[in-house]
Amino acid sequence: MIPMALMPIAVIVFGQFLPAYPLRILDLVLLYAMLGLGLNIVVGYAGLLDLGYVAFYAIGAYTYALLASPQFDLHLPFLLVLLIGAGLAALAGVLLGIPVLRLRGDYLAIVTLGFGEIIRVLMNNLDGLTNGPQGIARIDEAVIFGWHLSTPLDYLYLLVVLVVLTFLFVWRLQESSLGIALAAVREDQDAARGCGIDTTGVKLVAFATSATIGGIGGVVFASMQQFVSPESFTFWESLSIVLVVVVGGLGNPFGVILGAALLVVMPELLRAYADYRQLLYGIALVLIILARPMGLIRREYGPSWLVRRMTRA
Amino acid sequence: MATLLLQQAINALTVGAIYALIALGYTMVYGVLRLINFAHSEMFTAGAFVAVFAASLLGGVAGHPGVALAAGFATFLAIGFLGVAVETVAYRPLRGTSRLAPMLSALGMAVVIQNVVMLVGGRRPLIYPSFLPRGVFQIAGAVVTYKQITILAVALVLMVGLELLVSRTSLGVKIRAVAESAETASLVGINPNLPIALIFFVGPGLGAVAGILYASYYGVATFSMGFIIGMKAFTAAILGGIGSIPGAVLGGLLLGFIETFATAWMPALTHGLIGTEYRDIFAFSVLVIILLFRPAGLLGEHVSEETMVYKRDF
Amino acid sequence: MRTVTLISTAALLVGLSSAARADIVIGSAGPLTNSESLFGTTWMNGMELAIRQANDAGGVGGQKLVFQREDDGGDPKQGTLVAQKQCDNTSMLAVIANFNSGVTIPSSDVYHRCGMPQVTNSSNPKVTKAGYPNLFRPIANDLSQGAAPAEYALKTLGAKKAAIVHDKQAFGQGVAEVFQDVFKKGGGTVTSFSGVAQTDVDFSALLTTIKNENPDVIYFGGIMPAIGLFVKQAREFGITAKVFGADSAFTPDFIQGAGPENAEGAIVSFQAPPYDSSPQLQEFAKTYKAAFKEDPGPYSAYGYMEAQVVINGMKAAGASITRATIVPAIAKSDFDSIVGHVSFQPNGELTKPFIFLYTVKNGKFELLK
Repeated sequence: MIPMALMPIAVIVFGQFLPAYPLRILDLVLLYAMLGLGLNIVVGYAGLLDLGYVAFYAIGAYTYALLASPQFDLHLPFLLVLLIGAGLAALAGVLLGIPVLRLRGDYLAIVTLGFGEIIRVLMNNLDGLTNGPQGIARIDEAVIFGWHLSTPLDYLYLLVVLVVLTFLFVWRLQESSLGIALAAVREDQDAARGCGIDTTGVKLVAFATSATIGGIGGVVFASMQQFVSPESFTFWESLSIVLVVVVGGLGNPFGVILGAALLVVMPELLRAYADYRQLLYGIALVLIILARPMGLIRREYGPSWLVRRMTRA
Repeated sequence: MATLLLQQAINALTVGAIYALIALGYTMVYGVLRLINFAHSEMFTAGAFVAVFAASLLGGVAGHPGVALAAGFATFLAIGFLGVAVETVAYRPLRGTSRLAPMLSALGMAVVIQNVVMLVGGRRPLIYPSFLPRGVFQIAGAVVTYKQITILAVALVLMVGLELLVSRTSLGVKIRAVAESAETASLVGINPNLPIALIFFVGPGLGAVAGILYASYYGVATFSMGFIIGMKAFTAAILGGIGSIPGAVLGGLLLGFIETFATAWMPALTHGLIGTEYRDIFAFSVLVIILLFRPAGLLGEHVSEETMVYKRDF
Repeated sequence: MRTVTLISTAALLVGLSSAARADIVIGSAGPLTNSESLFGTTWMNGMELAIRQANDAGGVGGQKLVFQREDDGGDPKQGTLVAQKQCDNTSMLAVIANFNSGVTIPSSDVYHRCGMPQVTNSSNPKVTKAGYPNLFRPIANDLSQGAAPAEYALKTLGAKKAAIVHDKQAFGQGVAEVFQDVFKKGGGTVTSFSGVAQTDVDFSALLTTIKNENPDVIYFGGIMPAIGLFVKQAREFGITAKVFGADSAFTPDFIQGAGPENAEGAIVSFQAPPYDSSPQLQEFAKTYKAAFKEDPGPYSAYGYMEAQVVINGMKAAGASITRATIVPAIAKSDFDSIVGHVSFQPNGELTKPFIFLYTVKNGKFELLK
């Protein structure tokens, strides 16, 4: 346990010495790590492909943007909106989940993709509510019990806390009876049903939990960026989060965090190549997947494995 | 009114035929490998650009109708080989690992191809020389262009050809066998690599032809045009029942009709509440509704997970 | 494992971002790899031209100018990262950023925090709302860009009915709304105000409706290639109403895309006089072509002028050229650029925004007024 507990402390200590640009990159790594951990519940644990995860992220972000900005002159406290955003995202997860979870395999993937696009197009077209393509500007910065978050370092503290909480939550989830039921659904749905597992029920819980984490991520993003517009919630964004999970390691929280670090940092390192940046990014992506098709860290080597190793040593 | 409906039907049919050609590439790959081939949309774009290059080598499409045909054929071959190359490099090594790995590798290839098209073909919208004959005639008051007729004819010929290839030739038998079960097929001595390579030749080739037709129809091609249209064509493939060739054709045509008629009539029906700006999600909304009632698409058989090539998805 | 990775990558990043230079660095950020990359690239080429010329003339205060392009991908999130990177680079003394309003709004906050002089090309009126003293916009905003065509339609053409179409993007919808307001206030009737999807290539459904409305003029708020296709299809539908477009249609690609016979008579607003209207602009177009082997893009002249704003600001900054001394120097800008006279209001907007209307005549753009 101790080395794991040291990691977040190390990140915070390390953050003290970073200039603002790498600090912002680190913030983004943590944000994507959190989103990846959330999506991993559905993709990694339950074995369902969700290509519209950005919808929940968008719901969280717009909840904060509408409730804490000059748009309607509402300025609700950050933590309250965090709860509302998480709740709305969870609700969306359930509402989407009920009809679609009986679909199998990639039919589910394409319906979630459609859902993601529908949410984005709605955000773009409901001008009266969301201000349409112009987006919502001058969103409040987060204030938590009198602590006013403003600099990238402030957000680093918040994100480290959130990633640690999410990490602990998904790890416990994986080890719980629900996690075992999800693993059974992933391996063989029909056999799982045969064993008396309410497959649709556990999938729904997985979907809602994952959506909740996405919603929280969205609220944090909106407060960090202080601006939201539909172009931040494209299909590409959903794919980026799937990439974080798959490149990092399906079903492995360590892998997801490493995947987030790699996929956020890589495009920044490629900045020097200007016009060829995206091309090199694509090539690197293919090469990484070819080299590690099961992810940077395989499923087996998760936190429970580490704990076993440590206690045995 | 009747004229208007007829006019819209003709427009819908043209767009739908193009969607169907692209959808075929998605559905064939999916049918055999259960792979969402994200790189396919870029074959469409690359096809449009390569054709202009090929035509210019032959002296320009304006000169002779044969040039358009020859350039189109050359493009079909070139993009077909590109498809096979992409499969060999980026998908084959991943076969049998995880199902998500090749899908994301395909995504990486899509980024690569799009950027190569951008760097070589340029960022400016390419004012597209028409590969199709000009001129119009009228049917019951509705205006039909020769372009539209040619698009429908080309699409029809290619689709019939593909159906014959799959249902009447020994290669087609192999394709169907591998699609049914790669393992069983290899037990009876079919090497899955050949039919898979063929699929990755024909699919991108058809996509490339669709790219030429599309760019000629609208008169412009951009390096980034593939993404949205690819997403829609994939929706069409799912709509029809993915893995099914007639399903892809039906799905493509249906999508063309849904988009055209919904964009034309929804604003009036909803008093402007739902306007043309919702065009891109009409297709998805219909898809969601259809899948709720027919979870395997319109013509898809409801396969149980057992028949899939890789039973363990992730 | 994770910490080690983070430390090493961060160390790399620090190394990259603090490359020490004695020269003065001018940064830029805009879309270089997405669907709008044509605009971003040619816009930055214009800046580079101005900076090369300044260097040939001896630089600023004996120091050479270095130009650094960054890709923001038109993505707000990347925009703030790039802004932070440029802020952290202490030898970077000014930026010309960003191209998209949706990116400029969040990035201007970052630039403001480090006191970076920022010259933007984003035309949304909201961009200057935050009131940052370091932010300047030497181009007409959407208010002028939408108003001029509306007034022309009402007063000169005597139009009564207008149909308005936009692409549901910040820019397109913004100018379309201004056109609508001004046209209505001037006594005109707006028959329809419709959005289309940005990626639309087929407007037949909408054109059927518009044809029935029989408007005198149609305003299209959107960018290439959509506007070219729209005009082409409108003419094929037999719609003869005069079509108005916004600045991004001011390119030969528009006339080609619509077809010269269809584009004939279309009116386009633009912030600069034509390239052949003055010896300076002719010279600019010629030098640009020599340097980059292609004709200037629609925003190249702005990029050139915006770089001049920055360079003149540096020259006027006094003995010590720093971010802090450049800001007030730019605020006092007062010079004739190749596109018009540049001087700023306290809010960073042009004192007298320049906007020109062009019409397509014989397959070429011709100045209307």
